[in-house]
Amino acid sequence: MQASALGHFMRDSGPWTYAIVNLAHVLGISTLFGSILVLDLRLVGVGRRVPLAALSSAVVPVAATGFVIAATTGVGLLATKATEYVGNPFLLVKFPAIALGLINAAAVRFTGAWRAHQLRDLTPAEERRLAVLGGVSLLCWLTAITAGRMIAYW
Amino acid sequence: MKKLLLIAVAAAALMTPRIVSAHHGWGGYLDAEFEISGTVTTPVSLAGPHATMSIKGTDGHEWLLTLAPPPRTSAAGLKDGMLAVGTKVTAHGHRSRDNNRYEVKTERVTVDGGKTYNVYPDRT
Repeated sequence: MQASALGHFMRDSGPWTYAIVNLAHVLGISTLFGSILVLDLRLVGVGRRVPLAALSSAVVPVAATGFVIAATTGVGLLATKATEYVGNPFLLVKFPAIALGLINAAAVRFTGAWRAHQLRDLTPAEERRLAVLGGVSLLCWLTAITAGRMIAYW
Repeated sequence: MKKLLLIAVAAAALMTPRIVSAHHGWGGYLDAEFEISGTVTTPVSLAGPHATMSIKGTDGHEWLLTLAPPPRTSAAGLKDGMLAVGTKVTAHGHRSRDNNRYEVKTERVTVDGGKTYNVYPDRT
């Protein structure tokens, strides 16, 4: 990974490259987390006066965009000196947390409740199911961000 | 459901390590000034959050010199790939608080009989 063209680009394209890619990574993360936080809180039960259908149609594309930016820039940051991060325990927390977050997001999409929420009001049982998934989502992204920040302090 | 939030925050707090061996800032380094001389084993790299180089110290240990962030190191005159392997240098800065870690957060590098590269000119 370090020997890849991306790794070379990160190292050899001037002293500001890492800083700028790092900035984009932070913007990607804040876009993802800021938007998913609002949706997950709503699923958990905060701000029920906002209709879920309206909120989700606004928030999901923003969150997805944030994720793509964070993920692509993240690969660049890692490729800069990939060998230095081997054995960093926080990576072993961060990547599974991201994987779980994505699996959870896919699980939300496939629940009957999520597929129905644009069409009709949800039953209390359906709301509870989404609330659990929303809570898991928050837990996953908080863990990923915390572990990610700690990578630099190992 | 508010419990889930509490659990999330608690989990995040627990994962914060008690002792942070800082990669950033000066907290992970001793306050005392420190100096080590040696010969360059890895020339300057401007890749990543901090520029780095390494030297074989006169004490026999391989020392990692953590320099300023790349733009600042470059502005101080230390460019990528500079200082040929074998060049005799002295590094001045602060060593890691971890006794088993041979790392100096370096404020300046002086080439023997030559130039001084002051990557943190605002620090003495």
